[in-house]
Amino acid sequence: MITEPILQLSGVARDFFDGKTQRRVLQKIDLAISPGEFTIVAGPSGSGKTTLLTIMGLILKPSEGDVFIRSEKVTGYPESKMASIRLQHYGFVFQLAELLPALSVFDNVVVANGIQGKSISSALKKKAKDLLESFGLQNMFHAKPLQLSGGEKQRVAIARALINDPTVLLCDEPTSALDAESSTIVMDSLKRLSQDNTRGIIMVTHDPRVFPYADRLIKLENGAIASDSKSSS
Amino acid sequence: MRSLVALKILLHDKATTIGSLIGVIAIVFLVGQQLSVLFGLFSYMSVLVDHSGADIWICTKNTVNINSTGLLPVSYVDRVSALPEVDWAEPLLFGSGTFKTTNDNFEAVQIVGLRTPKLVPGPWRFYAGSQNSLLEYEAATVERLDFNKFGDIKLNEFYEINDTRVRIAAITQSIKGFSGRLVFTNLAKAKEILKTTPGRCKAILLKLKTSAEPEAALERIKKLLPKAEVLATSELSRKTRSYYVVNTGMGGSFGFSTMVGAFIGIIIITLTMYTAVLQRQKDFAVLRALGARKIDIVVIVLVQSLIIAVIGIFIGFFLLALFLNGTHDSALPTYFPRWMSPLLAVFTLALCVCGSLLAMRKAISVEPASIFR
Ligand SMILES: Nc1ncnc2c1ncn2[C@@H]1O[C@H](COP(=O)(O)OP(=O)(O)O)[C@@H](O)[C@H]1O
Ligand SMILES: [Mg+2]
Repeated sequence: MITEPILQLSGVARDFFDGKTQRRVLQKIDLAISPGEFTIVAGPSGSGKTTLLTIMGLILKPSEGDVFIRSEKVTGYPESKMASIRLQHYGFVFQLAELLPALSVFDNVVVANGIQGKSISSALKKKAKDLLESFGLQNMFHAKPLQLSGGEKQRVAIARALINDPTVLLCDEPTSALDAESSTIVMDSLKRLSQDNTRGIIMVTHDPRVFPYADRLIKLENGAIASDSKSSS
Repeated sequence: MRSLVALKILLHDKATTIGSLIGVIAIVFLVGQQLSVLFGLFSYMSVLVDHSGADIWICTKNTVNINSTGLLPVSYVDRVSALPEVDWAEPLLFGSGTFKTTNDNFEAVQIVGLRTPKLVPGPWRFYAGSQNSLLEYEAATVERLDFNKFGDIKLNEFYEINDTRVRIAAITQSIKGFSGRLVFTNLAKAKEILKTTPGRCKAILLKLKTSAEPEAALERIKKLLPKAEVLATSELSRKTRSYYVVNTGMGGSFGFSTMVGAFIGIIIITLTMYTAVLQRQKDFAVLRALGARKIDIVVIVLVQSLIIAVIGIFIGFFLLALFLNGTHDSALPTYFPRWMSPLLAVFTLALCVCGSLLAMRKAISVEPASIFR
C-alpha cells in the first residue's frame, strides 16, 4: 500500500549570509516522510541537520523550494498561519528540554494549547495527566522544571510535544545532553511512539549509537543527502 | 492561559517584577505628592472663598484674584439684602498685618474681619474656643500650626498686631492661608488693625434663598451694582487659582517636577521590563516554536505591564494616602482633589504600557529558530 506522505520537501535549499558572503548550507533537497516511520537524520556537525529540521518544522524559511504538509503547500504562508500549523501538526523536542522555568511540569505540557488565547479543556488536562503518567512522571505534576533531572525534563518535553497528537514529531539531538540510561528511556519512548501509523518521527543526531532505532536513516554531508536507507525490519 | 503564563513569569522573576513595581509606585507617589502640594498651595489662595458658604461674591470691578481686590462701599450690603432672592449678605474685610511674637519679632498674618453676629466665613476648625469667642471686642484667633513661630501663645492673653491690641480668644486648627496664616477677628477690630477707610469693606458675601434661581439672581445683582464685580463663588475660586498658576510660574515649576517624577518612573519600568524579557528570551522562542503568534507574545508582555500597573497603582495610592494623612495637620500644603485620582491612575497605566513597548519589541523579535542553536 502506498500511503500519502505526511511531509514533503521539494527542491528545498537554504542560504546563509555569514558576514559578506552568501553560503549555501542546504543543497536542493527532495524528501518525503511517510507516516509510521522513525527517520533519523545523521551527519557530522555543521552538515545542515538543524537547518533541515527547522525548515521541516516551518520555523526557518527555505531560500528555494517548497514544503508540503499532506500535499498542502505551506511555503509563503504568513507567520501567524505558520504558528497555527506548528501548534496543530507539529511536536518539537529540543536538545535541551527548554521547559519554561516559571511553569509547573503540568502547565509546561498544556501551555501551547492555551497560548493563542484559548482555555485548557478538561479533556486536554486528562490527556496531559495520562501522558505524564505514561512517562513515569505521575508524582511530578506540580514540580518546577528546576527540580527535575535532565532525563525527567526531556520526558516532560516529549509529553509536551505529544499533547496535540502531532502529525510530525521533530527532535533535534534529544539525547545528546543525557546519560546513557536516560538516553535509552527517551529512545525507547520515541520508538514506541513511532509505531503509531498516523505519525512520523524525524530525529536529528550525530550519535551513531542510536542508529539501530531508525526505520530510515538519512545521512547528510555538506548540506546534501549522502545516503538514504530503510532498514529491512 | 496567556494571562496565566504572563502572571507566572512575573511571579517567577521576582527581582525584575519588584523593580518594575517600584517604577510604578514611584510614578504614583512622586507625581501624586507633587500634585497634592501644588493643589495645596492653590487651595491656600482661595481658602476664604472656598469656605465661605456663600453663593455669590461681590468685589471691586475687574477682580481676577481675591487676594488683590480693592475697597467697596459697605452700603452695598443693604442694597443687595433688599432683593427678594437674597437670604443674607455680609461684608468682609481682610488684609495683611504683622503679629508681634513673644520672642519680640514679627510674623506676617492675614487679618480676616467678620461682621457680628453672623461671622461668615468664620473659622471652620477649632483647636480651642469657638466661633462665639469672636463676638467680643478685641477677640481674635491664631492658628495652632503657627505656635512654634509665634512663641508662647496663651489663650485669653493680649498680643499686638500692627500695634493694635488683640486678645487671643480661640485657636484654629489647620486653617492654612497663602501669605501668612489667617487671624480671624470681628469687623470692628479688623478695621482698627488694617486702618480701613470708614464705610468700606473688601468684599460682600451673599447667600441666595433656596427658592432663587442662581443664574437670574447673579444677573440681577450685576445690573444692580454695575460698578462692582459680581461673581459666583466657584468662578472667583477658579479665577484666583488660575491667576497664580499663570502669573507665578508655580504651575510650570510643579509641572516640571511632576514630569521628572513620571520620567524617572517610566525609565525604571522600561529598563526592568526590558531586562525581564532579555532574561526570558529563550522562553519566548520556545513559545513561538510551539505555536505562539507574535500577537500572543505581545499579549503576554502587555498583560504583564497591566498586572504591574494595577498592583503598583494600588500600593502607590496607599502610600499617597498615608502621606496626605500625615501632612493634613502639618504646615506642608497638601490637598488632593478627588477627581485627580482616576486621572493619575489612568496616566500611570498609560505610562506602564509605554514602558513595556521596548520589552514588547524585544520579545517579538526573538526568533524561534534561536532555540536550535
Ligand atoms: N542563522 C545562521 N546564520 C548563518 N549561518 C548559519 C545559521 N544557522 C546555521 N548556519 C550555518 O549552517 C551550517 C549548518 O548548520 P546546522 O544546520 O546547525 O548544522 P548541524 O545541525 O548539522 O550541526 C553551519 O555551517 C552553520 O554555521
Ligand atoms: Mg544541530
